Amino acid sequence: MGASPLTSWLLTNEFGLLTLILAFGAAFALGTPGFGSAFNLFTLGRIMSIDIMIGFSMMVVIVTGGLNLSVGAIGVCSAMAFGWLAERAGLPLALAIPGALAFGGMLGAINGQLIVRSGLHSFIITLATMSVFFGVMLFVTRAEAFRALPAAISVFGKTRYLGYLSPLLLVSAGVGLGLAALYRLTPLGREMLAAGARAPAAELSGVRVGRTFVLCHMLSGVLAGVAALMVIARTGAALPSMAGDLGQDWLLPAFLGPVLGGAALSGGRVSVLGAFLGAALVSELSNGLLQFRVGEFWVQTYLGLLLLIAVLMDLGRRKFLARIGSLAR
Amino acid sequence: MIRSRNALMIAAAALALAAWGPASHAADATKVALVPGGPHPYFAAWEKAGQDAMKDFKLGAADYRVPQKWELGLQNSLLESLLSQGYNAFLVFPGDPVGSNSTVQELTENGAPVIATAGCLKEPSSALFCLGTDTGNSAYLGTKELIKAMGGKGRVAHFTGFLVDPNTQLRIDAVEKAAKETNGAVSVVQVIADIDAPGPAEEKINAYLAAHAGDVDGIVTTAWVPAVVAANSLRKIGDKRIKMVGIDHDEVVLKAIKDGFVNGTMLQNPYGQGYIGSYALNRIRSGCKVKKDAPFKTIALTNRFIDSGTVYADKDAVDNYVGSMQSITKQIFGDFEKTYLTCS
Repeated sequence: MGASPLTSWLLTNEFGLLTLILAFGAAFALGTPGFGSAFNLFTLGRIMSIDIMIGFSMMVVIVTGGLNLSVGAIGVCSAMAFGWLAERAGLPLALAIPGALAFGGMLGAINGQLIVRSGLHSFIITLATMSVFFGVMLFVTRAEAFRALPAAISVFGKTRYLGYLSPLLLVSAGVGLGLAALYRLTPLGREMLAAGARAPAAELSGVRVGRTFVLCHMLSGVLAGVAALMVIARTGAALPSMAGDLGQDWLLPAFLGPVLGGAALSGGRVSVLGAFLGAALVSELSNGLLQFRVGEFWVQTYLGLLLLIAVLMDLGRRKFLARIGSLAR
Repeated sequence: MIRSRNALMIAAAALALAAWGPASHAADATKVALVPGGPHPYFAAWEKAGQDAMKDFKLGAADYRVPQKWELGLQNSLLESLLSQGYNAFLVFPGDPVGSNSTVQELTENGAPVIATAGCLKEPSSALFCLGTDTGNSAYLGTKELIKAMGGKGRVAHFTGFLVDPNTQLRIDAVEKAAKETNGAVSVVQVIADIDAPGPAEEKINAYLAAHAGDVDGIVTTAWVPAVVAANSLRKIGDKRIKMVGIDHDEVVLKAIKDGFVNGTMLQNPYGQGYIGSYALNRIRSGCKVKKDAPFKTIALTNRFIDSGTVYADKDAVDNYVGSMQSITKQIFGDFEKTYLTCS
């Protein structure tokens, strides 16, 4: 006899993350008056939404058992492509946005093709393309930002629903629902999971593994582009420095969300809700630490410690519940 | 089943978010946050300036808060967080002249006045004005001093700051301008930028001087860290043939001036920026308005610029550099309200 549905539910990674989010949220709200303010909830949601999207961009490649170290570089390239299309070419947003996302998708497809054709690990290929994409972007744009973008995009970034809800968070939630539907409801999504879990077996079952991997990387590029557009909505400009040198500033949020969310680094298993909640937890902790006026230079240390505590607490919770479950049986 | 559980969890999270609700953080006293773009020794004087301003003008707070590193996103997050914590007035060095505009606008829309400090925002901006060194003028005057020390002819190398710093291009242009005025007697043979951090500055300046020390007659540095590294390099080389004019008041540069390895330095006034800026924000929060016809200067980024002062200090003046900075601050502060504000 298996565990009861309630115990199974309580044992899920997602429930653990949600519990931690609520627990830390309550602690921060009680400990600092600013944490629960409408403005802070709004800005927290906005930062969260970007980190979630960056996490999704990595998650769709982790499905294959691979990595995409070039998410930041692709994001910056997509942002600059958007800047060029909207500012220099004068295209309306309805064309510039899909154009930028298609550009991100194309760079992702280049990654995928190189990985599939060379047979090398995605770590090596995307480490190389991170430098190549970023370097070409710097050469082409001469590191000049696009600063006269249509006002509508920054208005979107500043819009508040109910006084505290950023529409960017709704975009992330919408994309999350789309990804969940992809993996649960479509043959393509199931092929992605199967190819990532055991490529030879998937191949024998008729899945075109190479094509599937290329599609995963293409999707990763598109999602990095979405994250970049969200950053533009926040700052009102397309900046070559938006993701740091070589786009490396995006790597930590790219991994934290999916890994905390329970994605298997060996591939074949992901949790979209887990990645969403994992990124949300990290953003909440960073925000809460700033609110607590932890010295700015200590934020990273405390963030690491809190994450460690969070993971250990979650492990303890699961062991405890598993023991209760076995006793009940 | 799993889907319905997930939906439940999302609903619970949304409810919890709504339950926190908005919290008010009204505060009558002026609470100033002095926020640089990232960690840098130039801004260290802001901390003391804030403390002095808090005491002298009876402010609720005037705290120096530094983003963990030079990253626009981190600075924006810190600014947003500080507003939520109840700070209601901001002195901000913009992480990007345009990219910071959006956050500054959000601060002002929430009732917190902002002064762009030590670096300007590109107009249109909702900052009250920009209070900083006229970096172009400082670089121009420094280069003129260097040319004088070189005997009016020779080859100059220019070491400068971050390319994302709105001041860097102004400095590069100003050094070129001063050299061009010599009708070819002086030429800028090398500009090395993006080195206002110890790692890249050590690597690039030392490599350049190791290979080309014989090809240059003068060095002008227009950012803090390159000035320190170049002064150290000249001391190591031990050749006083190469003339150098640095910037700011790091002990290494001041000692090199005393020992004759560096000819002088262009002092800026970060203390005055923090002190006068905090004062101005408090007056604005007390009901004063910025005069529409105030005698602002126009520079590349803005037409609402106030020069916080710069002065050249050579061997004779270097011992009294603190006095020089204080006297500039006193001079600007003395008639600041009368010149720039209307208070009923």
